[in-house]
Amino acid sequence: MKAKLYIHITRRMASNFLAAVFMLSMTACTERIELELDSTFTRLVVDGAITTDTTAHCVRLTKSTDFYYSGKPPAVSGAQVSISDGEQVFVLTEDSLEAGLYKTTAGVFGIAGRNYRLRIDLAEAINGQSRYEAECMLPQVEALDSIKVVYQPAWEAWIVQCYALDPPTVNYYMFHIYKNGILMTDTIDKVIATDDVLFNGSYTNGVVIGFLQKEYPREIVNPGDVITARIAGITREYLEFIWAVQIETGYKNPLISGPPANIRGNIKNGGIGFFAAYSTRFASCVFQP
Amino acid sequence: MTTRLIACITLFLLPAFLSPLQAQGTRKYTISGYVKDSRSGEELLGATVFVQELKTGTTTNVYGFYSISLPGGKYSITWSFIGYESVTRHIDLNQNLQVSVELALRQQMLKEVVVSGTRSSENVRSTETSVVKMDIRTIRQIPALMGEVDILKAIQLLPGVQTTSEGASGFSVRGGSPDQNLIQLDEATVYNASHLMGFFSVFNNDAIKDVKLYKGDIPASAGGRLSSLLDVRMKDGNSKKFSGTGGIGTISSRLTLEGPLDKDKVSFILSGRRTYADLFLRLSKDEDLNDNSLYFYDLNAKINCNIGEKDRIFISSYLGRDIFKNPDFKMNWGNQTLTLRWNHLFSQQLFSNFTLISSRFDYGLGIPEGKAESFKWVSQLDDYALKADFGYYPNPGNTIRFGLHSAWHTFIPGSAKGIGDNTFFNEFILPASYALEHAVYLQNEQQLIPRLSIRYGARFSLFQNMGKGVVYRFDEQYETIDSTVYPAGKVFNHYAGMEPRLALTWMLDSTSSLKASYSRTLQYIHLASNSASGNPLDVWFPSSPNVKPQKGDQVSAGYFRNFLSNQLETSAEVYYKKNHHSVDFKDHAELLLNPELEGELRFGETESYGLEFYIRLQKDRLNGWISYTLSRSMRKTAEINDGAAYRSPYDRPHNVAVVVNYALGKRTSCGANWVYASGQPVTFPTGRAVIGNKIVPVYSDRNAYRMPAYHRLDVSLSLRSKEKTGRKWFGEWNFSIYNVYARKNAWTINFETDPDNPDLIYAEKTYLFSIIPSITYNFNF
Repeated sequence: MKAKLYIHITRRMASNFLAAVFMLSMTACTERIELELDSTFTRLVVDGAITTDTTAHCVRLTKSTDFYYSGKPPAVSGAQVSISDGEQVFVLTEDSLEAGLYKTTAGVFGIAGRNYRLRIDLAEAINGQSRYEAECMLPQVEALDSIKVVYQPAWEAWIVQCYALDPPTVNYYMFHIYKNGILMTDTIDKVIATDDVLFNGSYTNGVVIGFLQKEYPREIVNPGDVITARIAGITREYLEFIWAVQIETGYKNPLISGPPANIRGNIKNGGIGFFAAYSTRFASCVFQP
Repeated sequence: MTTRLIACITLFLLPAFLSPLQAQGTRKYTISGYVKDSRSGEELLGATVFVQELKTGTTTNVYGFYSISLPGGKYSITWSFIGYESVTRHIDLNQNLQVSVELALRQQMLKEVVVSGTRSSENVRSTETSVVKMDIRTIRQIPALMGEVDILKAIQLLPGVQTTSEGASGFSVRGGSPDQNLIQLDEATVYNASHLMGFFSVFNNDAIKDVKLYKGDIPASAGGRLSSLLDVRMKDGNSKKFSGTGGIGTISSRLTLEGPLDKDKVSFILSGRRTYADLFLRLSKDEDLNDNSLYFYDLNAKINCNIGEKDRIFISSYLGRDIFKNPDFKMNWGNQTLTLRWNHLFSQQLFSNFTLISSRFDYGLGIPEGKAESFKWVSQLDDYALKADFGYYPNPGNTIRFGLHSAWHTFIPGSAKGIGDNTFFNEFILPASYALEHAVYLQNEQQLIPRLSIRYGARFSLFQNMGKGVVYRFDEQYETIDSTVYPAGKVFNHYAGMEPRLALTWMLDSTSSLKASYSRTLQYIHLASNSASGNPLDVWFPSSPNVKPQKGDQVSAGYFRNFLSNQLETSAEVYYKKNHHSVDFKDHAELLLNPELEGELRFGETESYGLEFYIRLQKDRLNGWISYTLSRSMRKTAEINDGAAYRSPYDRPHNVAVVVNYALGKRTSCGANWVYASGQPVTFPTGRAVIGNKIVPVYSDRNAYRMPAYHRLDVSLSLRSKEKTGRKWFGEWNFSIYNVYARKNAWTINFETDPDNPDLIYAEKTYLFSIIPSITYNFNF
């Protein structure tokens, strides 16, 4: 249980501090360099989830590559993929248009409180392993009362604030933001994920759950735009996974960053990535400046 | 157990009183006193007192006091100190004498022809191994970043001492972590010695008298850290006349005033410093930067009072603060120390010092009131300590030191709360914790036979965790099982240990010696920091039921040889160190605002070894040194790097420093220094995966790579004003260039996505300093 939001804000501010220190040094600069890196063995990469939405749930299978590899990750085709919750088994089939993308049928939904198991049998073993498994509990989530969008000049961003009563239990959340139905948090580093330490059991008086930044044209919010927030109730393991990905894909500032470390997921037998299960709720508002 | 211990120590020390000199049966008398600078009246630390007839002697202690007891008779006694003219007096010793001597500074820089006086061979002779002393005048001659000469930067040019990161004042001694260095200013612990991210240290040269770094063979009078003791002593203030020193530089200015309040009895020194570089930030066109302010200030003050022949009182204080603020964020941090000391002579042979110390390091940060996200976060560490130290000088062959220390630590790791009416933050308070740390020590420095000197002793330390406190219990996966709350005042956990220290010096001839030492050190408080270059958000935490004390064993041996009438000092030393329960952190550890911090810790072993060469020349117009260190430092922690050994973050096998200063004429001198160090160990990605539409790195083993090697050349030129009779004001212009050949030393390497091709990643280095010229005007009156 960590006071992540304080730290999150402090880290953002620390980069401002760093900029001031750089300015002081007068000559600090960045420069592209040639840096030779070794190769490592290939691993299976799993990226998938089952949610309480009624839809086709996806699991993407790819291979890891050398670090400087310059293409899309190689897809892993021909695998047998299934998700079970102890009562039902959903078989995922590979998408005919996109190799490596495995989908359930369209009418599938997960149920809160159940434990979901992913099982993958590869047509061709990777690193000597052809069976990979993962397991994730699907937590419950309560609905948001409302959300509000406010422009913050200091941050040059629109912040999405949420109003809801947090249950007295320990909860972990992930927030996605849509603008006019289009997902803005389309990469894992843009998602806000948090525990409830700062507001456990009380009313969240406008906790920030999304940033839409002015510097990215697609994120600019105009009056009348419909902003939707999706709250997801996730497991602590998945929360820590998201945090680790955000640390490892962000700027490494020697003042405040610890040593790099591999991200620990929940894929057994040497795979990397995460198979998540979470419940979702939505709330929308129209932006009026 | 305790009785046996005392019996053991008594037996151990017994030979101390069976000195060969005592066997003659002649009545003994004691000569004691202080050795001082003739111009300022400042006591000189480590000055030599040598009895020609007996070829024996002693040195002054950290208060400039010496005492030597000899059989009655006629003696020629010489008092000397590096850089000063020696004084020899013929003394007819038929009663106890008090002889205080004032030595005059050798005006080496101002004379065309320098008479090379006899330099002391103290470095060869003393039982101190792995110790480096730097006098403040040497430090001032080293070219420095932005012209701001700094003692912490200067000691990083010595063998066995490494910089942790460019510009940082954090340093690693013989492969140890920066938190394993005990940094003391007038005996008060300084917990964070950095200003402005370490570009400057908290030590203002104008207020400092003496700096001594113990790299391994830490005297029994100090403890609580594994790697080193950096003992910094403030000036006592000129007791002869009112004087001032100061400087105006490109980014900061400083002023020191000192003088007698009552001549030769009471003196004071007051020293202040403030940077104004943030004014440059206002010039920036970048709006994000020009409303930032970033500066530091510090103040040193000391009053020194002689009350009669036998008593002296000192009060010294340091206050420093760094401030960074802009409309959206503010942060400040700093140290405060207060030392109250009383020197008392129980007899001419028994010197004592009683010290009362308080030390605080704290920081605060937050978003100013009036916003939804306004908050305030503070953290603090307080120390109160009491020390009683004694020096007993029974005869020239023995110097016995003993003492008792007690300290009370209060840790307030952090509390954060929203401020104002609109805030969405709840209050978040980490519980404070309290601890007591005690030690008793006894040490004798003994000349067994003319060739062999030995220093032996032990420190017994006791650490107690005290309520009110919360202790979490963790399972094998470091998941919290439960927690126990202990009431205020209850000692709920303790650790104790014996820390033996031993050093031998075997004189091969008058200019060369072999030395060896062994020491054990225990460290009960630790720093939660895993960043590569350190930051002000330091969280210190105590040992506890979950955290065993760190324990270090070190052996070292060296050959010391002087040439050219001691003008050329050389040494070669080897060391081997093993640390147990070394603190490391789990992957992606959260060290801030984490009540279960102890669950983020992982404990392992660190093994370090190395070879250090040091050549130092002080001849005529030329002085300087060359140091080279060849070393390794490896860690092994069960849960890190799959349990395989990995390079410690401070493993930099080759480390070279060349420091040269040359007097061009009466008023002009130039200096240069060149440093080279193998790159810092670093973990780089060797593969990648795509997760959540983002390229995620797959890493090598921990610290499998190195950053590019670090090297840099700095030069300086000083011009002093003319020496004229009656002149009161002396000025000196100092021109320096940092990083002359503009080497872009990598401070960090990041991997960036190509803006035109999201699938392409390239490496990008950040460097802090290119070539930086600066001008400083220094003055004294």
